[in-house]
Amino acid sequence: MNSPPPGFAETRLADPFEIYVGPLFHQGEPGARRFAFRVDERHVNMRGILHGGMLMTFADMTLGQAVWDLTENAASVTLNMQTQFLKPAKAGDLVEVTPELVRRTRALLFMRGDFKIGEEIIFTAASVWKLLGVD
Amino acid sequence: MVSRPDGLPEGAEEVSIGGFNRYVGPLYRLPDGEGGVKRFAFLAADKHMNSVGSVHGGMLMAFMDVAMSRTSRLVSGAPRCSTVSLSCDFVGPGRLGDLIEARIKSPRRTRTMVFLMGELVAGDRTLLTANGLWKVAGVS
Repeated sequence: MNSPPPGFAETRLADPFEIYVGPLFHQGEPGARRFAFRVDERHVNMRGILHGGMLMTFADMTLGQAVWDLTENAASVTLNMQTQFLKPAKAGDLVEVTPELVRRTRALLFMRGDFKIGEEIIFTAASVWKLLGVD
Repeated sequence: MVSRPDGLPEGAEEVSIGGFNRYVGPLYRLPDGEGGVKRFAFLAADKHMNSVGSVHGGMLMAFMDVAMSRTSRLVSGAPRCSTVSLSCDFVGPGRLGDLIEARIKSPRRTRTMVFLMGELVAGDRTLLTANGLWKVAGVS
């Protein structure tokens, strides 16, 4: 269940919370990576539905990995995240996202992502990231 | 605030019964605040942290989602409500050992929807502010 899907490799994680809810998988080159995670029993609520908190965590992890790639590992923090929950997911589903850079300024990155099961979007997230030490 | 030996305020009741809530918990409901504000809490532990010593943003959003979900059920009286949208501003970092409290208000509810505003605080520090929209399940 926790081995990488075909074509994906396991992403190296540093944050204890991400390791706790992971693993995370990726494919492609830094700056254009696609990410995936497999929903399991740890991630669902009492009705067997993927918890919104886990989806938001996955969004923060993957958009953050993309920011990390785009800034050559500069230190940054999430300032804001906006999310929409379109459709439920369940244990066994593979949730995938290719994070997109919408705009970059000297100090900020505006990121977004469509989170899909197969071809169907189940969740969207947009977040603003601040590079630390840049005015 | 009176504290128990486990570091939680008097009247704290665990609400993380199973699944993801229990996995990232324990999470607690606290007695209502002034004006019917719904209150929840958790203690920031090692598993909740990021690599630079702050509580992970994903955990803060997950806790806000739990607090707002429960509040939507409490104020609507419906057995099930689902998250439609949630927007969070990360105002300040949470630290290891913090007692992080959620305070949730509902400025309006209709037959089908619940509008929510909330904040996460640790002592006198604000960590996160949020707006959420919930749908009452089974009503259209």
